[in-house]
Amino acid sequence: MDDLLAGHQAEQPAAHIAWYRQQMVLFVAGSIAIALFLVFVSMALYVSSGAAQLDLSRPGYKNVQNKVDQSDTFESFSASGTVDKNVLDQFQKLYDKQTKQVDNSDAFSSSALDDQALGIDAPAASE
Amino acid sequence: MIITAVVGSAPAFAQDAAAPMTDEHIDRIKSSCQSALATLGQIHANDAPTYINRNQTYFSVSDKLMAHLNSRLTLNRFDATQLVKTASDYNTALLRFRTAYKQYDDTMAALIRTDCKKQPVGFYDAVADARDQRQKVHDAVIKLQTLIAQYRKDIQEFQIKHVAQLSGGSNG
Repeated sequence: MDDLLAGHQAEQPAAHIAWYRQQMVLFVAGSIAIALFLVFVSMALYVSSGAAQLDLSRPGYKNVQNKVDQSDTFESFSASGTVDKNVLDQFQKLYDKQTKQVDNSDAFSSSALDDQALGIDAPAASE
Repeated sequence: MIITAVVGSAPAFAQDAAAPMTDEHIDRIKSSCQSALATLGQIHANDAPTYINRNQTYFSVSDKLMAHLNSRLTLNRFDATQLVKTASDYNTALLRFRTAYKQYDDTMAALIRTDCKKQPVGFYDAVADARDQRQKVHDAVIKLQTLIAQYRKDIQEFQIKHVAQLSGGSNG
């Protein structure tokens, strides 16, 4: 009887250990699965939101990082206050000054990707 | 039959089925492959800071200038309907610019990864796609410029329309 009881008591810690081990494996596997899912979600948001286009830390963009205007020098116009001719004249001057930076219309011209520019145009037919 | 076999055997078709790509054209694409990819990579890399700077300026014009002026005019009980409308159109155009650039950027990224020696026809078609999408970005830039000019004109018309109130200070 005592042997039976001792045997039963010896099995209980072993069963607990096995149970805890199983729980630990499930916990680690579940954590990894949740982490992978969240990484997938964040990457999807990174691509779909357009943030990727603003990220110059991507491979291949190191040489052009210094071309980005990082200073916050855009002069704002106050949203409160009186309105008279002088105020509107001031706004016009500020507006003209700030929009001068984007005044040129040759940005993203498709001619940069012309076949001739890339050297992939059809060769001239020989006579 | 002999002439056909000598001159052109099984020409590949590019996007336009009416203009089949000749073997000479394919060979030219293959020979220009590396330089074309280098040029495309350069264009793609230089486009990024241009887009970032422009996007930032366009957004600031909307957020820090147009919105603030419209708000100030409304607080002073002026009728700024036309200015608000133009600002709204401007914001719509800005969204289109961002969307167009994203599509163009994705296309260019895929194009640069294309093996133009193994897939010269596919590469040529992909370049044509990228060119069309770049044109859409350019069109969006032109639209934004037009709206910037329109807003400037709206302010001038507003000043003419409310010359009496503006001379006397705020309305009401």
